[in-house]
Amino acid sequence: FLGAGGGNDIQWCFSQVKGAVDDDVAEADIISTVEFNHSGELLATGDKGGRVVIFQQEQENKTQSHSRGEYNVYSTFQSHEPEFDYLKSLEIEEKINKIRWLPQKNAAQFLLSTNDKTIKLWKISERDKRPEGYNLKEEDGRYRDPTTVTTLRVPVFRPMDLMVEASPRRIFANAHTYHINSISINSDYETYLSADDLRINLWHLEITDRSFNIVDIKPANMEELTEVITAAEFHPNSCSTFVYSSSKGTIRLCDMRASALCDRHSKLFEEPEDPSNRSFFSEIISSISDVKFSHSGRYMMTRDYLSVKIWDLNMENRPVETYQVHEYLRSKLCSLYENDCIFDKFECCWNGSDRQSRNSLLTSLFLPPVCSIVMTGSYNNFFRMFDRNTKRDITLEASRENNKPRTVLKPRKVCASGKRKKDEISVDSLDFNKKILHTAWHPKENIIAVATTNNLYIFQDKMN
Amino acid sequence: MLGKGGKRKFDEHEDGLEDKVVSPTDGPSKVSYTLQRQTIFNISLMKLYNHRPLTEPSLQKTVLINNMLRRIQEELKQEGSLRPMFVASSQPADPLSDNFREAQPAFSHLASPPLLPADLVSTMPLESCLTPASLLEDDTFCTSPAVQHDGPTKPPPPALQPVKDSFSSALDEIEELCPAPTSAEAVAAESAADDSKAQPSESNIHKPEGLPESRTAESKLVDPLPGNFEITASTGFLTDLTLDDILFADIDTSMYDFDPCTSATGAASKMAPVSADELLKTLAPYSSQPVTPNQPFKMDLTELDHIMEVLVGS
Repeated sequence: FLGAGGGNDIQWCFSQVKGAVDDDVAEADIISTVEFNHSGELLATGDKGGRVVIFQQEQENKTQSHSRGEYNVYSTFQSHEPEFDYLKSLEIEEKINKIRWLPQKNAAQFLLSTNDKTIKLWKISERDKRPEGYNLKEEDGRYRDPTTVTTLRVPVFRPMDLMVEASPRRIFANAHTYHINSISINSDYETYLSADDLRINLWHLEITDRSFNIVDIKPANMEELTEVITAAEFHPNSCSTFVYSSSKGTIRLCDMRASALCDRHSKLFEEPEDPSNRSFFSEIISSISDVKFSHSGRYMMTRDYLSVKIWDLNMENRPVETYQVHEYLRSKLCSLYENDCIFDKFECCWNGSDRQSRNSLLTSLFLPPVCSIVMTGSYNNFFRMFDRNTKRDITLEASRENNKPRTVLKPRKVCASGKRKKDEISVDSLDFNKKILHTAWHPKENIIAVATTNNLYIFQDKMN
Repeated sequence: MLGKGGKRKFDEHEDGLEDKVVSPTDGPSKVSYTLQRQTIFNISLMKLYNHRPLTEPSLQKTVLINNMLRRIQEELKQEGSLRPMFVASSQPADPLSDNFREAQPAFSHLASPPLLPADLVSTMPLESCLTPASLLEDDTFCTSPAVQHDGPTKPPPPALQPVKDSFSSALDEIEELCPAPTSAEAVAAESAADDSKAQPSESNIHKPEGLPESRTAESKLVDPLPGNFEITASTGFLTDLTLDDILFADIDTSMYDFDPCTSATGAASKMAPVSADELLKTLAPYSSQPVTPNQPFKMDLTELDHIMEVLVGS
């Protein structure tokens, strides 16, 4: 396991947990997305109730290793409200599907948040000063009688308690007939894409009344529909390149320079089916739930129901690496189909760069982070990490029990069959209601955020 | 959670398997493959038609379930046209059943019937909906004399019988449609016992018909609901409805939006056009209806007004 010995292995420790303690989960509190900003200082979560909660890394203790992973609430706001589609007589959920941060350009922070139908650009700004000493207004805002004014003064800014305000700056609406599953900001930082089940649209961040359709897989006859778009992302460096994944386990790479409508892909990534593993559920478990480019853009990672695959963009016919997340579920697929768990959409993420690691400080400053570890969630509040270099993997658990700060997390093991060893958990005792779908890795440090149903766990690397 | 349910289920119905030589310790068998396929088919149908959300169901899920149903239907169609596969006997190496052989290794672990999470029973009485092992083993699908004579009226999937019996309660919760297994079981067991040696060729022909029958009959459940008053009036189901039921039925737009659903029934109808004639006519408006506006950007207010008028019935 990772952490079992020396070298560059990370030893993960519990840092914090956010959210309600009681087991009764309020529907609105279910976390639906987690995302660090580009510096890692801010950590945003979206929930089913349409709220965004932003946590900020504690600055003062940043240099002290044991407090590096301390995040406190910075801002909370209601991003989306439930709506009603009168034409279809159906509710539009306010659940936040994705949050993506824009790189910081000035004092304010900007993020895009989206529900099924509408994307919003939010500005989060701090206010720590306010003007005082008006001539015509009292301090409480009441207007003074001008006749009582005998002297004039110049209002000055005085410090006040920090106030963090969130305001919607752009609302990108009415462009998606189907449910939005992804948003991705282009490397030009001016445009972004939004993808729903059948279409992908390109937006300019400044323009809300117009978007361009760049992918459309809706068949002329809906009865012929057999495949939907499940995720999409822009290439981190090439502003005309993006990929989208499908429910049939394929990834298509498209170049916007080729044509206005990118219906023809430049590359098609698909692994041929393993005949020995064929079952009724082959298609469903091949459906890709998440796709993420590596920081350099040379690789991309996809998550399907049972595995994580790393693809080299130069090789379309098969992934270069495959990691089994919970292979022991393969024999339970029928039950998982019955209880809908087979449709759970697990996300995956790459490690960030780690300036504090034993790697050369110079390389970590000047080169993009080397994506050597991938992380993804599973059931029973387990999450998994795979080290691409050592080929070792580890299973950890996000739970309030047995989690003391600065104590290294104990690796978990699931017993697939046969005799269960001590400390192992049998497949049949896994709790399938406790799923970790969303995880995020700090872009610069070994700090991770792991979302259980309604709690957010923060773990950090135990520094020697 | 996953393992226990399956074991219990098998033990419960062991008595029903007296006439068969199948035991839980058998290796991959034709019967268990057919069993699982039927189970998955039923589950898929339930998923498509039971969903009564306030929000739009996930298109991805619908498409995947629909693909599953199509695949199974295709397989059954192929099997039906090649050779009978359902005569109960031990013929593990059927040279014509390529499909089956390919899939066989995948089901080597399925000596016992598919597993049911225990807590599912409370939310959805699936155990009662899923064809019990004994029923499937008897293969009422093709061996029942009822199928030969009457075709659509004695459908093998037990879910259909209670539909006709309890249509009014079906409008509120389709879960309530799930039949008590006893009645269906008894009928099927009876007919199967009589016909364990039914002629393969006849069962061939009726097998695919049985399926679309179940599909179209199942869609009878749903089709009247979106407010196609034509159907409901003609079949006399309306008598049990209150005004509230009709109004609520109006709201359900699952048939409008999810053409994959209607297409599934449409495809099924193609397989047995004669018997689903009436339903086909009524299905046509649904499948040809454009699912979504081509200009999602604008909502024509006059159009909206018109629709509201129609709904309110002024």
